[in-house]
Amino acid sequence: MTLTREAPPAIPEAPALPKTRRGDGWATTIMVAPATVLYTVMLIVPVGLALYLSLTDWDGFSADPAFVGAANYLDLLDDPELRRAALVTLLVAAAGTAGLNLLGLGFALLVNGASKANTFFRIVLFYPHVLSALVVGFLWSAILGTNGAVNNLVTKWGGEVLPFLSDPAWATVTMIGVLVWAGFGVNVVLYLAGLQAVPHSLIEAARIDGATRWQVFRNVTLPALGPSVTVNIVLSLVTLLKTYDLVVSLTAGGPAGQTQTVAYLILWNSFHDARLGFGSAQSVLLMLVTAALAFVVTKLRRRGELAVHQ
Amino acid sequence: MRSPHPFLAPTALSCLLLLTGCGGGGFAGDSQAKQGEGGQITVRMLVNITPNLTQAYWDGLVKPFEQANPGVDVKVEAPTGKGVADTLPQQLAAGNAPDVVETLTADETLSKQMLDLTDQPWAKDTPLAKEASLGGKIYTVGVGVQAQSLVFYNKSAFDKAGIDKPPATLDEFDAAMGKLKTAGWLPLQTGGEFLTGLQLLQFSGPSRAQLHPTWQQDVKADKLKAGESLLPYLERYRTWIDKGYVDKNALGTKYADAETAFLSGKAAMYVMGSWFTAAEAKSTKDFEVGVFPAPVDKGQAYPGPQGATMAAPYMILKSTPNKDAALKLVQWLVTDQAAVKSQLKQDGNFRAGVEREFTPLEKQVQQILDSAPSGVPQGEGYGDATLPKGFNAAWNTEVQGLYVGKSPKEVAEGVDRWLAGRK
Repeated sequence: MTLTREAPPAIPEAPALPKTRRGDGWATTIMVAPATVLYTVMLIVPVGLALYLSLTDWDGFSADPAFVGAANYLDLLDDPELRRAALVTLLVAAAGTAGLNLLGLGFALLVNGASKANTFFRIVLFYPHVLSALVVGFLWSAILGTNGAVNNLVTKWGGEVLPFLSDPAWATVTMIGVLVWAGFGVNVVLYLAGLQAVPHSLIEAARIDGATRWQVFRNVTLPALGPSVTVNIVLSLVTLLKTYDLVVSLTAGGPAGQTQTVAYLILWNSFHDARLGFGSAQSVLLMLVTAALAFVVTKLRRRGELAVHQ
Repeated sequence: MRSPHPFLAPTALSCLLLLTGCGGGGFAGDSQAKQGEGGQITVRMLVNITPNLTQAYWDGLVKPFEQANPGVDVKVEAPTGKGVADTLPQQLAAGNAPDVVETLTADETLSKQMLDLTDQPWAKDTPLAKEASLGGKIYTVGVGVQAQSLVFYNKSAFDKAGIDKPPATLDEFDAAMGKLKTAGWLPLQTGGEFLTGLQLLQFSGPSRAQLHPTWQQDVKADKLKAGESLLPYLERYRTWIDKGYVDKNALGTKYADAETAFLSGKAAMYVMGSWFTAAEAKSTKDFEVGVFPAPVDKGQAYPGPQGATMAAPYMILKSTPNKDAALKLVQWLVTDQAAVKSQLKQDGNFRAGVEREFTPLEKQVQQILDSAPSGVPQGEGYGDATLPKGFNAAWNTEVQGLYVGKSPKEVAEGVDRWLAGRK
């Protein structure tokens, strides 16, 4: 008996890509190019330039910045102003994120129904966000300043001036309050979008099972809002870590530099003190911290959301 | 697996190169000539915009120059950032520098980008040109002089408090504040923002200049510590806060509100530069404002040297493609009688030999300037006597610390630490 071994079937030759596919490749490239160019121009190039400048002693004026290696980064470690600003920024980011989300979610629940009144209130709640942060700052400093509207009333009624902007602790709380006032409208909109996506059948089922309103919110609505909460927290956190313009117009970093945020310090060092190299090192650090915090928060939230689903 | 988008990398690279060409490489010297059709030259001038110096004012100011020079169009540009100091580096980095810049005075950093005006015959006769020169070279020319160390006061408050003549010494000043407080006035109007530190520099200037005539140079050369040398004034200021001579919540008051508060009669005195006379002239009030030179220490000559800064300083960018037109414009701005008078009046400034219609308060300021033994730089200074950029702001932040619990010694140490970090 001879064993004959059949020749293995020939692997069919891969068909050549049809011409139309090649055409698709070109089309894809052309369509992706604008976005790629924009991404490169708006993100990669500025970040690359900031990274390069952070390794120089550029003052913003001279044409020949000298390479200083990691000197600017080493200076950061020994900068008491940066330490103070970092603490203020973290406080603003943490308390502000909590405030924005609590108020955002709370008001979203209040104006969730479809009615003319709710439409009106949604506009009212979103309105502060439309105003420029600089205008908001000047407005609130006119209201809360030592000679502002509130203190004029307080002193007229025989009270003592309230140090909204003249005491470091008060000024920090005031700044967080104004940031939350100016920004929570966006969170309301995002939470409203999330609430629209919560299946009504789940809520109905829970109600039929006898759940109270709080139990429905705690066990049905909130878990279903998980992705919205993550987006809201990350967006709020990232925005607040970059707080700058409101500091300029509300407190100018005072009193005694106690409300300076890292972003404010970066701009101040870069342009006012003509230390753009050092300011660039600060901005690279802020970018890394912001990215790391956003990553950690997203991961933690994802883990929480998965636990809920399981 | 083949790369699905083989052209992305070259696209990105091209973009990077393009951006590098636009941004990093375009510092100075590559600005394009702004010559329009028919040989029209556009001279771009970056100016400071303030309540006194509005865009409309600047446009009107240069109009006679444009009429006299039909080929030249002056484009007045407002800062796009917080101010001229922020905007100029951004424009330089973008390769879009103006031809002329107003407000800033040359220091070691700026001078590298500016045109040397030393060989211009008209430059050396402009106010403070010599004092603001760097290594003997003139880069900045100005319209006039701003007196800095002035104390404006409410005459009826002084009358009611029984103060018959303005205080000449620091101790007399303290005594006057005590009387004013007893009479129910807030003795001295201060404020937040940059005002806190500025006022203390203005106030201490005449006394400090007699103790340390070359203060900025000595600090720069490490012969003197800035904070330590100003400690006596910080200690005095601290007593003012403790005694209620200044509002303990003053840091919550903005500069403009502080000015308004004094002009509305809420406070008896206000330390400020001569530009305050322009605001005073426009205000409506039921009391008369007087002015006296900042007091000095016991045993020192009074009045002491007056803090003096250049009013409306102009510089020309070395990179300008319109050098002749820019030179002509700046010469006109600082020497033409009508242009000079207009600028002096608009911002409450002064210039020896230039007669203009004075308000009663301006007359007093002119007399103070005339009787001052000399004009001296204050704070950060100018010309060869310039401290590191940002000194005034760092000083201001530290001085505000007196209001939030820092001791005068801690403030002085903070100032010296900041300077040590900038060496």
